[in-house]
Amino acid sequence: MLEIKNLHARISEGREILKGVDLVVKAGEVHAIMGPNGSGKSTLAGVLSGKPGYDVTDGQVLFHGRDLLTMAADERAREGVFLAFQYPVEIPGVNNMYFLRAALNAVRKQRGESDMDAGQFLKAVRAKLKLLEIGEDLLQRGVNVGFSGGEKKRNEIFQMAMLEPKLAILDETDSGLDIDALQMVSRGINALRGPERAIVMITHYQRLLEHVVPDRVHVLSGGRIVKSDGKELALELEQTGYGAYGDAA
Amino acid sequence: MSAIAEIQPYVEAFKAQPHTHTAEPGWLKQRRESAMQRFAELGFPTRKQEAWRFTDLQPLQRAPFPPAVGKSKVAAADIAPWLYPNAAHRIVLVDGAFVPELSAIGKLPEGVWLASTTQTLRDRPDFMNTALRETDALGAQPFIALNAALFADGFVLAFEPNVVLDRAVEVIHLGRAAGRSAQLRNLILLGAGSRATVIETFAGEGGYWINAVDVITVSAGAALRHVKLQDEGAAAIHIGHNRIELDRDARYENFILSLGGKLARTDVQLKFDGEGAACGLFGATLLRGEQEGTIATVVDHAAPRCITREYYKSVAADRAHGVFLGTIGVRPHAQKTDANQLSKNLLLGARAAIDTKPELEILADDVKCSHGATVGDLDETALFYLESRGIPPAEARRMLVEAFAAEVIERIEDDTALRAHLGRHVTRWLAGGVA
Repeated sequence: MLEIKNLHARISEGREILKGVDLVVKAGEVHAIMGPNGSGKSTLAGVLSGKPGYDVTDGQVLFHGRDLLTMAADERAREGVFLAFQYPVEIPGVNNMYFLRAALNAVRKQRGESDMDAGQFLKAVRAKLKLLEIGEDLLQRGVNVGFSGGEKKRNEIFQMAMLEPKLAILDETDSGLDIDALQMVSRGINALRGPERAIVMITHYQRLLEHVVPDRVHVLSGGRIVKSDGKELALELEQTGYGAYGDAA
Repeated sequence: MSAIAEIQPYVEAFKAQPHTHTAEPGWLKQRRESAMQRFAELGFPTRKQEAWRFTDLQPLQRAPFPPAVGKSKVAAADIAPWLYPNAAHRIVLVDGAFVPELSAIGKLPEGVWLASTTQTLRDRPDFMNTALRETDALGAQPFIALNAALFADGFVLAFEPNVVLDRAVEVIHLGRAAGRSAQLRNLILLGAGSRATVIETFAGEGGYWINAVDVITVSAGAALRHVKLQDEGAAAIHIGHNRIELDRDARYENFILSLGGKLARTDVQLKFDGEGAACGLFGATLLRGEQEGTIATVVDHAAPRCITREYYKSVAADRAHGVFLGTIGVRPHAQKTDANQLSKNLLLGARAAIDTKPELEILADDVKCSHGATVGDLDETALFYLESRGIPPAEARRMLVEAFAAEVIERIEDDTALRAHLGRHVTRWLAGGVA
C-alpha cells in the first residue's frame, strides 16, 4: 500500500531532516515508528500528508502504486490518507458537524458514493461518538474549540473513524493523554484495524503500543530508519532507550 | 472633471425640479435651497480631507448622476431574494420613490407612524423638522447637504412613547435606473421607552447612485436595533449616512453587512445626548474584484456614563480595497465613559488592500477606552487542517471566510432568525468564490 524509497526532505529553506527513509507498509498491517525527539518523525508525517513547509529533495513515495508526493493534501485525503495531528487545530466559527460532513462527503464523492443525508450522517456520528466517549455537544462547537487536550486527540480518532481511510498516520496521538483517554483512543484505533487498512503510529513512547499492538516497529534516528523488527523491539527500546541508535543529529 | 463642473449638473437638476417642491411648505423650500447652496460651497469631498483620504470617489465624479425620474418596472419577484421572512411590515422604494404595490404595511399598533417620506410631509410635516435637523457639528457633509436639497422620498418610522413592536419593520431600497441618482431621506424616531427593529436592505442592478441619509433619534430608555444589508448591484455606487442621537438610557444597535456596489461607503455618526445610554456598532464588509468599501464611524460621547461597543470586520479579495475609519470622542464632562472599538481585517490577495484607522480623542479623565486593529491572512494551519480531511482548498478558504464573518454576526443577540438571514447572504456572496 505504502512504499517509501530513499526519501530525503528538508524544512523549506532549512536543513535536511529526512536523509533516506525506506519503508514498506502493506494493507492490514500496523506499523510503529519510534524515535528520539528531533529524529524526523513529525517531518515524515508532514511530508506524507502534504503539509506545507517541507521540500522533498530526493526519493519517492508510492501509495497504491501512485506517486503520493505530486498530489495536493486534499487529494491525498480523498484518496484515503489520513493524518491524526499531534496538535489538532482550533478553527473558531467552523462548526464541527458541518466540517465533518463536508469532509465525509468529499471523501465519499471520491469513492463514488453519494452524499450522506442528514439522518444517515447523524446515525453514523452517534455510533462513532459512543466508541470514543465524546459528548454530542462538543460537535456543536467550532472545530476543536474549547476541547481539552484529550478531547482533541479523541476527536482526531473520531474523524478517522468517520472517514475510514486506507492509510492512517497517527502523529504522537498518545502524547498528553491520561490513561482513560489513552484507552479510549486505543479502542478507537483497534476498531479500525482491518485487512484493507494500514496504520502507521508515530510515537516517542512505548505505552500506546501496549494497547495497539503493532506488527512492525521501526526506529527512526538521524532522518533514517535504523532498525526494524517485530513488536518486541518496542519493549527493548522502553528498557534501553534510544541511546544505542545515536542521537537526533 | 473640475470641482465646478462636478457640481453643476446637481445645481441644475435642483433648479429644474420644482415639481416635487411646489406643494411643499415654505420652510422646507428654504431648507432645500440653503442645503443646495451648502453643497455648492463644499463640492464633493476630496482625498485631502482626512475623513475621505482613503476613499476613491472617482466613479462618482467621472460623470454626473441626475436624479432618477419616473419608475422602473419592478415585480414582486425582483425583491424576493432580499425579503426578510420575519418582517411584519414592509416598505419598498424603487430608485428612491415609494412603491405602494410592493409594500405591505400591516396593522400598526396605536402610536406608530410608518409611511413614505412624501406622505409624511403631507400628513405629519412636524416629523420632517427632525428629519432635516441641522446637526453639522461633525464637520462638512456635502452628501448630506445634497441629499437635503434633492431628496424625493424615503421612509419615516415614528413611535410614541412606550410602544413596542416585536417584529421587524423591513425597508427595501431597490436601484434600477442606470446613470441616475436616488436621494433618500429616512427618519426613525423612537419615543421614550419604545422599542423597534428595522432592517434596511439596499439592492438592485445597474450603474445607479444611491445617496441615503437616515436620521435617527432614540429617546430616553428606548431601544432600536437597526440592520443594514448593503447588497447593491455590482456597478452601483452607495453612499449612506446614519446620524443617530441617543437620549438618556437609550439603546441603539447597528449592524451593517456590506456586500455590493463597486463603491460603497457608510458613515455612522452617533451622539450620546443623555447619560447612561449604550450603542453597539457592528458589521462585516466583504469585497472582491475591484470593489471599494468604506465604513466610517464617529461616536461622540457628549454625556457621562455611556457605553460604546464597536466591532467591524472586513475581507478583501482580488484587487478590492476596504477602509475602516473609527473615531470615538469623549468630551471633558463625559466621565465614566466605557468605550471599545475593534477592527479585524482579512486580506485574501496580494493585490487587495485594507486601510484601518482607529482613533480615540479622550478629554475626560475617568474613562475606560480601548481600541485595536488587525490585518491578516487566512490561517495556514487551519487551511491545512481542513484540506487534510479532503476538503478542496477553495472550499476550505470559503469555510474560513464564512467563519470570519459569522463571528461578528454572532454579536447580534437573541435573534436567531436575523442572524440566519444575514448568514444566508454571506453564504450566497461566498458562493461566488474567494480566490
